[in-house]
Amino acid sequence: MSQAELRILLVEDEPHIRRFVRSTLEAQQWTVYEADCGQRGLVEAGSRQPDLLIVDLGLPDMDGVALIRDFRHWSQAPVLVLSARSDEGDKIEALDAGADDYLTKPFGVGELLARVRALSRRHARQQETSPLLSFGDVSVDLSRREVRRGGVEVALTPMEYKLLCALLRDAGKALTHRMLMQAVWGPGHTEDSHYLRIYMSRLRQKLEQDPAQPVHFITLSGVGYRFQF
Amino acid sequence: MKPNQLPSGRRLPMGWRYGLVVIACLLITLLTAPFRDTLELANAVMLFLLVVFLVALKLGRGPAVFAAFLGVALFDFFLVPPHFTFAVSDGVYLITFAVMLAVGLLTTGLTTSLQDETERVRQHERETRGHYELARTLTGAATIAQVEEAVESYAAHQQCRVRCFWLTPARQLDTGDSELLESHLLQMAFNSQQPVRGDADAGTPPLYLPLRAPMGMRGVLAIYPQAISAQDFLAREPLFITLASLLAIAVERLHYVDVARQTEIEINAEKLRSSILAALSHDLRTPLTSLLGMADELAGRPLPEAEREAARLIRDQAGAVHRMMTNLLDMARLQAGKMQLRLEWQLYEDVISTSLQLLKPTLAAHPLTLELAPDLPLLRFDAVLIERVLCNLLENAAKYAPAGSPIRIHAYLEDGFACLAVSDAGPGIDPAHLERLFALFERGEAESSKPGVGLGLGIAKAIAEAHGGSLRLSATPGAGTTACLRLPLGTPPALLTEDEHEPG
Repeated sequence: MSQAELRILLVEDEPHIRRFVRSTLEAQQWTVYEADCGQRGLVEAGSRQPDLLIVDLGLPDMDGVALIRDFRHWSQAPVLVLSARSDEGDKIEALDAGADDYLTKPFGVGELLARVRALSRRHARQQETSPLLSFGDVSVDLSRREVRRGGVEVALTPMEYKLLCALLRDAGKALTHRMLMQAVWGPGHTEDSHYLRIYMSRLRQKLEQDPAQPVHFITLSGVGYRFQF
Repeated sequence: MKPNQLPSGRRLPMGWRYGLVVIACLLITLLTAPFRDTLELANAVMLFLLVVFLVALKLGRGPAVFAAFLGVALFDFFLVPPHFTFAVSDGVYLITFAVMLAVGLLTTGLTTSLQDETERVRQHERETRGHYELARTLTGAATIAQVEEAVESYAAHQQCRVRCFWLTPARQLDTGDSELLESHLLQMAFNSQQPVRGDADAGTPPLYLPLRAPMGMRGVLAIYPQAISAQDFLAREPLFITLASLLAIAVERLHYVDVARQTEIEINAEKLRSSILAALSHDLRTPLTSLLGMADELAGRPLPEAEREAARLIRDQAGAVHRMMTNLLDMARLQAGKMQLRLEWQLYEDVISTSLQLLKPTLAAHPLTLELAPDLPLLRFDAVLIERVLCNLLENAAKYAPAGSPIRIHAYLEDGFACLAVSDAGPGIDPAHLERLFALFERGEAESSKPGVGLGLGIAKAIAEAHGGSLRLSATPGAGTTACLRLPLGTPPALLTEDEHEPG
């Protein structure tokens, strides 16, 4: 899948929001299919086989989370959630159900495009197998467990390295505190999210240009973190 | 005893009753005298005794005793030979007299005491019925006025007057316009929760009874005797105490009916408020999303610069309306106590980074300085809400400080609090206005062209207080304002070192 020819399915009941999302995406030469309700969305998803799914959580006929769960049974295509709700619990639920990222309404064109691009890039990257990754002035060699910043090796503790790997593996995806805790500390520690905050802070100190205004290790308030290249 | 409940004969004046006795005895004498030689005198004795019995039954004890003696006298005088003299020819008649008198008096005694007993039972039954009636009325009463009315009419039957003294909203006794002495006695009854007897100078003293209900004191009932003897009044004290407890329970019931009604109203209002909030937040956000998105999309099109500028303005204004709406809804939730804090142990720096990210366009015109003390511990707070606080503080700083002036964020520890301060180099605020600034909808400038409804600080303060912290403003006119969020330091959970965590 190349970014030039993305096929996107948009499931949203509000026609005006549909309209501007559609015209924004079409301006990028992407193909957009629409559905105005959950049932319709599932049918369209089955027949169109989209590269990316954009779902509003507040659908009239079914819960957006249920739709995502259903979609995940047979597709690995990235899912972007549009949430009108400010309740972080709903976003976490959607992410747990298999969504990759979310946008809180209202959102601008820039945010929308950035998320769609990031998700499609992430999907493309998953096919690659190179152990060499880089972001900012940091390069990571996964095969040699080596992290360099500006050419100088950075000493990471095993946990810090494990957390970095978990973030890199799912770069571009919104990860809840629970998911990260489980990936790094194991299933017994999913409630001790303060570890995660401390280690994330240390990673930023070591790898971000300006730790107070990070550009790679992004905090999602009340939800979790997202790593972006 | 109520007069209309007496047997009809006892309603007569005493003189009449004795007159009737004389007439009845004379009648018997007249009736039997013609046959005194042919008739057994025992029959006449029987007739006299019958009169005594009937008199005892109908006219009471005194007339009956009188009838017994009169009967013996008349019997002796007219019927026992020798006639028309009290002299007796046969000593046996003396025994007859004695027996006749004894039987007469005995009958009188038995009859009248039986009647007294019956009367007592009736009286008791009447009282019971009166209590029952009162209890029923009190149970059905829907207002305090109805309760008072029922008690007053009951007391009127007891030849008394009553007055109820209730509680003030502060749960103190409201003695109304009563005199000094009386209000003192009322207070005494209220405080001691015991009956208090009034001043005996003016006839029978009034009685002050505390109205004690299961859940607490409800007031004091004053009972003033009217046409009732001091002795009767005293005898009815248990009755009045019962009355007071009935009254107290009735008033308490009314109180809780009121509380229940009030609670129901509040629950309904709360439901309404919640559904309005939910509807507002959805129904406003949806068109705002379209508006903001469409304007943003328009601004990116190849249009003449003026039109793109207009589109950008629409977008920014839609964003401002959205922030205002979020603030309003949050304030409504906070005020309704509906805000649930999702408290987690975390660092200030996460909130600072997300706030700066969110406000990037707003803060673009100001150079930022960031100072984070190195020893900042984990704090327990709701990330989304504290982010709202910091955003509001930063927005205020950006709004009121001139473009190009620096904004400083400073996080440090002080007196057991973790402080997060935002300072600007704006015009500052008159110290006199500082506290008022927190009031809702109030802004530093009386008439301002700067956007925002002034809710921001009020919400920031409410959120800080919901976390057990505070929001402090300090300002030097002409030299800028500092707003400082202070959150209490807790005891963060232990943090195991890596070796402890993952041995090997």
